[in-house]
Amino acid sequence: MRSITLSAACLVLIVSAAHADPTSAKRVRAFARLPDWTGLWETEASKVITNPAGRSGSFSRGNLGGHPPYNPEWEQKYQAALSNAATAQQANTFKGCGEGSPRYMRSFPDIMEAPMVFQVVVTPEETLFVMDHGEIRHIYTDGRRHPDKDDLWPTLLGDSVGHWQSHTLIIDTIARIAGPVSIFGTGEVSEHAHFTERVRRLDENTLEDELTIDDPQRFVHPWTMKIHYSRVPDLNRLIPYECEADRNPIVNGNLTIAPR
Amino acid sequence: MGPSRRLLGVLATLLSTASASGHHSGAMFDAQKTLTLAGNVKAFQWSNPHCWIQLLVPMQGGTVEWSIEMGSTTELYRSGWRPGTLKPGDKVTVLVHPVRDQSPGGAFVSATGADGKPLGKAGAS
Repeated sequence: MRSITLSAACLVLIVSAAHADPTSAKRVRAFARLPDWTGLWETEASKVITNPAGRSGSFSRGNLGGHPPYNPEWEQKYQAALSNAATAQQANTFKGCGEGSPRYMRSFPDIMEAPMVFQVVVTPEETLFVMDHGEIRHIYTDGRRHPDKDDLWPTLLGDSVGHWQSHTLIIDTIARIAGPVSIFGTGEVSEHAHFTERVRRLDENTLEDELTIDDPQRFVHPWTMKIHYSRVPDLNRLIPYECEADRNPIVNGNLTIAPR
Repeated sequence: MGPSRRLLGVLATLLSTASASGHHSGAMFDAQKTLTLAGNVKAFQWSNPHCWIQLLVPMQGGTVEWSIEMGSTTELYRSGWRPGTLKPGDKVTVLVHPVRDQSPGGAFVSATGADGKPLGKAGAS
């Protein structure tokens, strides 16, 4: 009796394996059609801070730090903010993390140009952008649409779906919370902004993200830019950046160093 | 002014003061001044957003503890530093851009060990 039971179990396993194999082969073929973006990548700002020249460098304004094509109403707000006498002092106390840092530090599209190292995980069902600061963008490529209106609300990363055109990943992102698009710029969008990206590998060591932001409530026309990433040559793993030991409190309106 | 416009204004001028540290404005440091600090390591803090050297420096008839701000762990690692590069008691000479408020703190520029050799890749923070 025990022998019969064992044989039956083996038969079930064999049948299951036979059923699983075609599915697996199909997925293997799907993987084979995808581009190879393995390895670690970094933004231009990341290259600046790891430059052996040290701290003499400063961040580039970047693409997202440019002047958005505002409509007259938002252009007026932009110009008024530029002339605000308090802005210089506030800029002097800017922090990227820890108490007093802006929430938009961890938002899309800022993370695509901030000083970060990241990994891209490409699968048939989704592509993941895994940032060393902890954020993970999920780009679903399984044919789904964005959630229905009642199932969707604004978040800092928004909701992204994508599809492949040859080896170019086309990403469509909506439902990004209203606010600045970059910590280094002046561009603000409404929660109705629509982001389209075309991500592709230009050569062995370069990725390109052509990003278009359309926000009919604030822009007079779509805002398009090209962001480039370089392969990281001197790391073999993604090292987490955990802001656990912030020693730069703001005291009396100034950044300071706290004793250890 | 609402928070949105206030933040927009802040961001408008960030670039003039953003340091290469990746964490905060560099305005707190005087990049025009470079001090040379020779002393003994009290502690080497391997952490984010910054690594720190706590350096005991003989000065003013006594010993002053300096807090020297470096880059993040990843930045330092890529610059040749490791968590064990410095140990308590090590003699080092460190160049810093001092903080503007006259407190004993500064931004790391470079360091050499007791043997006179640079620590990490020369000039890396």
